[in-house]
Amino acid sequence: MTKSNEYVELHASSAFSFLEGASQPEGLVRAAVETNMPAMALLDRNGFYGAARFHGSAKQNGVRAHIGAEIAVRDMSPRVQPPVWLPHQCKPDPSRLSLLCMSQVGYQNLCQLITRFKMLEKTKGEGAAALDDLREFYDGLLCFTGGEEGPLAAALAAGGEAAGRECVEELVRIFGRHNVYVELQRHGCRAGEQRNQAAVRIASSLRLPIVATNGVRYATKYEREILDVLTAIRNHVPLDAAGRLLQTNSHRYVRNARTMAQLFSDLPEAIENTVLVSQRLQFELHDLGYEFPRYDTPTGEPMDVFLRKRVAEGIENRYGPKHDPGLHARAKLQSERELELIEKLGFEGYFLIVWDIVRFCKDNNILIQGRGSAANSVVCYALEITAIDPVGMDLLFERFLNENRNEWPDVDLDLPSGDKREQAIRYVYQRYGELGAAMTANVITYRGKNAAREVGKALGFDEETLERLSGLIGHWEWRKQGETIGDNFQHAGFDINHWRIAKYVELCERMQDLPRHLGQHSGGMVICQGQLNKVVPLERATMPGRSVVQWDKEDCADLGLVKIDLLGLGMMAVIKDCLTLIPEHYGDPVDLAQLPQDDEKVYDTLCEADTVGMFQVESRAQMASIPRNAPRKFYDLVVQVAIIRPGPIVGKMMHPYMRRRQKKELVTYPLPELESVLERTLGVPLFQEQLLRMAMVVGRFSGAEAEELRKAVGMRRSWKRMKELMVKLRAGMEENNIPAATQDEIVQSIQSFALYGFPESHAASFALIAYASAYFKVKYLAAFTCAMLNNQPMGFYSPAVLVKDAQRHGLRVKPVDVQRSDACCAVEHEQDGSLSLRLGLNYVRGLKAETAAAVVEARAQRGRFCSIEDLACRVPSLNRGDLAQLARIGALNWLDGVGHRRDAIWQIEHVSRTAGPLLKQAAGIELSGDSPLRRMLVEERLVADYGGTGLTTGHHPMAYRRTELRQMGVLSACELRQHPDGTYVQAAGAVIARQRPGTALGFIFLSMEDETGISNVIIHPDLYEQDRRIVTSGKFLKVYGKLQNQDGVVHVKAERLEHLNVPPIALQSHDFH
Amino acid sequence: MVLTAVYVCVHVPEFPAQALLRLRPELKGRAVAVIKGDPPLEEVCSVNRLALRLGVAYGMTKTELESFAGVCVLRQAVVEERSARDVVMEAASSFTPRMEVQPARGSALDVVLDMTGTRRIFGEVREVAARIEQTFRTLQFGVRVAASANLHTALCLAPTAAKPIVVPQGHESESLAELPLTALPMGEEQAERLELWGLRTLGELANLPETELVARLGQQGKRLRLLARGEHPHLMVPEEAPFTLAEYIALDSPVEMLDSLLFVLGPMLDQLVARAQNRALALASVTLTLGLDGGGEHVRTLKPSLPVAQRDVLLKLLHLDLQAHPPCAGVMSVSVKAQPGDRSKVQLGLFAPQTPEPMRLDVTLARIAALVGEQRVGRARLCDSHAPESFLVERFSLVDSAVAKPKEEKWSTVALRRCRPPVRVAVRFDGSRLAVFFFAGKRYSVQKAFGPWRRSGDWWSGSVWSVEEWDVCAVADGDTLLCILTHDLLRHHWRMEALYD
Repeated sequence: MTKSNEYVELHASSAFSFLEGASQPEGLVRAAVETNMPAMALLDRNGFYGAARFHGSAKQNGVRAHIGAEIAVRDMSPRVQPPVWLPHQCKPDPSRLSLLCMSQVGYQNLCQLITRFKMLEKTKGEGAAALDDLREFYDGLLCFTGGEEGPLAAALAAGGEAAGRECVEELVRIFGRHNVYVELQRHGCRAGEQRNQAAVRIASSLRLPIVATNGVRYATKYEREILDVLTAIRNHVPLDAAGRLLQTNSHRYVRNARTMAQLFSDLPEAIENTVLVSQRLQFELHDLGYEFPRYDTPTGEPMDVFLRKRVAEGIENRYGPKHDPGLHARAKLQSERELELIEKLGFEGYFLIVWDIVRFCKDNNILIQGRGSAANSVVCYALEITAIDPVGMDLLFERFLNENRNEWPDVDLDLPSGDKREQAIRYVYQRYGELGAAMTANVITYRGKNAAREVGKALGFDEETLERLSGLIGHWEWRKQGETIGDNFQHAGFDINHWRIAKYVELCERMQDLPRHLGQHSGGMVICQGQLNKVVPLERATMPGRSVVQWDKEDCADLGLVKIDLLGLGMMAVIKDCLTLIPEHYGDPVDLAQLPQDDEKVYDTLCEADTVGMFQVESRAQMASIPRNAPRKFYDLVVQVAIIRPGPIVGKMMHPYMRRRQKKELVTYPLPELESVLERTLGVPLFQEQLLRMAMVVGRFSGAEAEELRKAVGMRRSWKRMKELMVKLRAGMEENNIPAATQDEIVQSIQSFALYGFPESHAASFALIAYASAYFKVKYLAAFTCAMLNNQPMGFYSPAVLVKDAQRHGLRVKPVDVQRSDACCAVEHEQDGSLSLRLGLNYVRGLKAETAAAVVEARAQRGRFCSIEDLACRVPSLNRGDLAQLARIGALNWLDGVGHRRDAIWQIEHVSRTAGPLLKQAAGIELSGDSPLRRMLVEERLVADYGGTGLTTGHHPMAYRRTELRQMGVLSACELRQHPDGTYVQAAGAVIARQRPGTALGFIFLSMEDETGISNVIIHPDLYEQDRRIVTSGKFLKVYGKLQNQDGVVHVKAERLEHLNVPPIALQSHDFH
Repeated sequence: MVLTAVYVCVHVPEFPAQALLRLRPELKGRAVAVIKGDPPLEEVCSVNRLALRLGVAYGMTKTELESFAGVCVLRQAVVEERSARDVVMEAASSFTPRMEVQPARGSALDVVLDMTGTRRIFGEVREVAARIEQTFRTLQFGVRVAASANLHTALCLAPTAAKPIVVPQGHESESLAELPLTALPMGEEQAERLELWGLRTLGELANLPETELVARLGQQGKRLRLLARGEHPHLMVPEEAPFTLAEYIALDSPVEMLDSLLFVLGPMLDQLVARAQNRALALASVTLTLGLDGGGEHVRTLKPSLPVAQRDVLLKLLHLDLQAHPPCAGVMSVSVKAQPGDRSKVQLGLFAPQTPEPMRLDVTLARIAALVGEQRVGRARLCDSHAPESFLVERFSLVDSAVAKPKEEKWSTVALRRCRPPVRVAVRFDGSRLAVFFFAGKRYSVQKAFGPWRRSGDWWSGSVWSVEEWDVCAVADGDTLLCILTHDLLRHHWRMEALYD
């Protein structure tokens, strides 16, 4: 017998039953803790989507997490619906069987069962299991007859008690007499009780045990409202019209043992059985039986031998050419140390598999580079997984791998975005099979905008209001303390005191972070030895041919599934294009591995913050700090990449470093022992590795403990563990007789920046790409700009800014021309031998890629187009809209008979309005060839250029206003640099970027561009409050304020803002809000 | 003699605001914004000049308006607008019976008056225009007036007329030349195309060669060009008084007898039915307004299930209705208004069961309604809601009743009598157990109670509800009562909801 005050909820669904549950798994666990429930079972709809988080949270809180799922079964009666005489909108839906995993076998069977019916779907979809599937995968599973959604209720409704008995008998035949429980739920409704009574009679006649559950759909009563909103969203009806789709009452919450015992006082064994069932459920999620695939060596050698050989070869290849015997010897020693550890941990297969992917990419001309902590490993360097020499740079291996860390190493591989990355992903699928590899999921959650929109729809707001409501949700990175969604509504002119708006705002806030549906992660892949579908269910992704696991990457990592990230990086694609364009047009062979590392001109350009388009160093904050850092060698660039991060900024590390770098402050160390650790960064900790080393030096931490410390303060912060580690750290420091003040300083620096700081290896990997991009831009501007324009969207600036920047650096950029432009932008050779850039047809807004290809094809086949009529005739897919767009942007100006843009427009209007064949043949009225339309004015041309291509190859819009602006006393970006610090100035320009960084206490940074360059404006939060609309939506601004001109870094501290009157140019700024 | 056409366009800008302001002289000199829509989603639909000057814009929300000091916010009033429109029409009709209301342009009202041939009555066109403006100003309407021999020219020019404009015949094109293209009525696509061509004024459009334009824009291009040149002809379709079915009679002395009243009503209905039949129509509804002795009115409306053209049926229905709802005083006047409707015939299925003749059904229903009250006759329709009392009583409809009934459930059911409305009861508890309640003057002790069955909903609206229901077996003086008691958890009262037979 069990204690009378014990009850285990064996049928709970979380919000991961997408739109059918209202609480996060953590919320359910919290409710279990609050009701003193020793265990709880999570049964989400057709999957284990929330199981990992449920398991993790339960483990932390000392609750046993039972895992199961509600499985839709298509061969049983459909779900019970309201009687026909009651009006309702319930759609037919298969009934759902509640299955719980008793053992690992049961779990694996359920995974396979779900995968089976999910993968039968042609596209992403719910699916339902067949009875035969259940017969195949029954072992190790407990079956409940379910509540209102279950098959017993369905059978009773369809055929009365006889059908109900038949249904239960079928389940007994499938799962076995001892594994079927007749489930009773009491939510205070008559129909439910009628079912319960029938169920009790059936259970008694078949001698089956009964079990009470509450069919939980939300943790607390209050969350029933959220479930109703989700139901309305799911059924695409407003709440007012949802009727019987909604919950009858608020009783499907986590009830405590006392309430359940009272409710089932007539059937106490139903409550007692919950505890007995809980005892039978031995399976927990940490026992997945996951095994990373072994690598089949081509020679048949054991993996360790094969790996050693590849590493040895790699060390020779990498370090031989460096002609540094000392370094070579150290690398060998380090590789030996790493290999020993890899073998000890059994990770040889992992390294070989990653090596295999890298090798595939290299063989297929796909640029690939590892980043992240993998760059700390000389084995990865030798296997060409990474490009950074960890021995030469003295990087900390423990950050990547250590003995006590109970998890897989993490390798992120950067690939050019687009087709090349797809090719690599396809290779992995092909190598490990459809059920051996899958993408990790990406759970799409309700965030500001979509929550505002969908809740608004549920509350019955019309489309126009919805646009307005969702459009005003800000996405600034920084929010004022206590700023709520409600504040946003108020700013947009809604009365938040009105109860309807107040309820709306409240619901929006409560919906935040609830899962909406499952997406696919951009590049995370999970691979498994044997069948991945035994470890986690797989399902179809929206993208054809792709499958995803039901967990996101964090869940996979928490449960020890190894993932390889094949990430698309725009800059990799740019570099790849440069590697083709440069030899083709400049005749210079380029090898990425052999770029001169100390090119003076490149570093000069970096020091001048002339970095538009360069990887990682082009943002406004980077531009503001790079002149102070004044990089002259590669390591300076590594620091530069890492320093503009929330960690160093919040930890107040950036300014001390910069002062020391500028020799305005003495280099000191908190302790002499830390000199070796912090020497390279002038005594200021900037990298995660330094944090680990500091802990090892001052706190006597082992490598593993130091790594644990990093994780404890990392993304999923565990305050409890961090506290324990801090106590240990302080104890270590005490032992080392470190003064209390220094201890505080060290603890503070660790806590503040460990979260967002870069690992040094990662910064070094990025710095390599940053250097390559800088090198290409400085040396091969035409090729670099061309590659940048062809790989948009990427980076910090819009194509318009990239083009203007390139023009300022002397590149001739030529407009779209149907007689010359290719589908993409291209480098052209001028008569004087110089290179220029021709915009491609891909920049014509609204022109389909196939149509652009047809234009190029037609030109390639029969040469230049003679006239507009010839163009329209040879490329029939060009419709009137396309022709008008081409004419508007001047792309038809080089056709015979076209004088100017409007002339072309006049002609296309005639050409695109074709007469029928009969009329064509008839002697028509002769139309004069001259256009009566006037030429476009400069302003009109600008509007057309920006509207039609997003940029102009002509003068910058500000250039046309310069005389007038000069008369007004407005300085250009270039002139600002020549004015002394502290002067009051007026500046003006087109806003190209707006930022409100989380670390800047509400200050907003605007970047404004004019024909001479980019100027920066700082906006105080008070001024923002005052002129919110101008700041967030002004396209051309005039700013009045005090100039800050220090160390080559120029800012205007705005005191007043004004709109500058310009034509309605569709200029786009990159707004981080 | 061919008369020279003269069209005068009266443009009433910001009509919703003007309709409200003309009767509120106290708001003169204040900035006013008119809002429309349901709270909390109202937005500005019309403003006066002072409000515009302050920066108020169309589409602003009420909360945004609050940031403007001194702006008076009024709600759009459809009724006042309707009467203001009547005033405008009436004022215009004092100049000519031929007038045409133009399709709405934003928030303005445009009426064109055909003043052809009125020179001898009103003088020269310039004088007419000035008099029209003056007339409207007296009525507290700020209007803009333009006159031309071409209706569209007057219409295009009127919004820009700070003072009355008169376009001499033959000068239409030059007077329109400077106007922006937006002055022309055209679709979004046409406007976009002309903007692409770089055209800004009507003059530029007018100067395009006609053939070339037609080759590019088709006949629409020709139309626009003619409009821009002030040459587009217009066939005036004057406003006509709507077809109304109304009869009125004033009585010499108060009539109190119903039969006497019916005697008067009979011929009135004859008239109405005959006039409706002249247009092949019947009467869909009849509203009877009785002027009462000593002031006051008694209004009744009949809506037969199908439009009726039989005088006797209507008279019988009115008879029954007046029997059920007699006037409280003698009748001094009788006014009958009717809405015309199609004389529709219902096609019944060949094998469909015989249904009562619609007219007889109406009469029967009217008889029942006279006995039990109107809200209690009809067909109950369940609503899609968990809420208690979630049903509507709707009128019997002959067409709908032909729809097949859903198959009956096989369950054996107990008959349940709902209390309409539910009766309040007092209850007593024994601890937490429902023990006693008082109903129909008796004290019932509860023998068994099953429940509570709980329902709640509409939490997102003002009509939130939450109830518990109990199936109760209670005894009083040897009588056993099986019933449903409900407990309203928000209002804290108990009610007898239903009794089991």
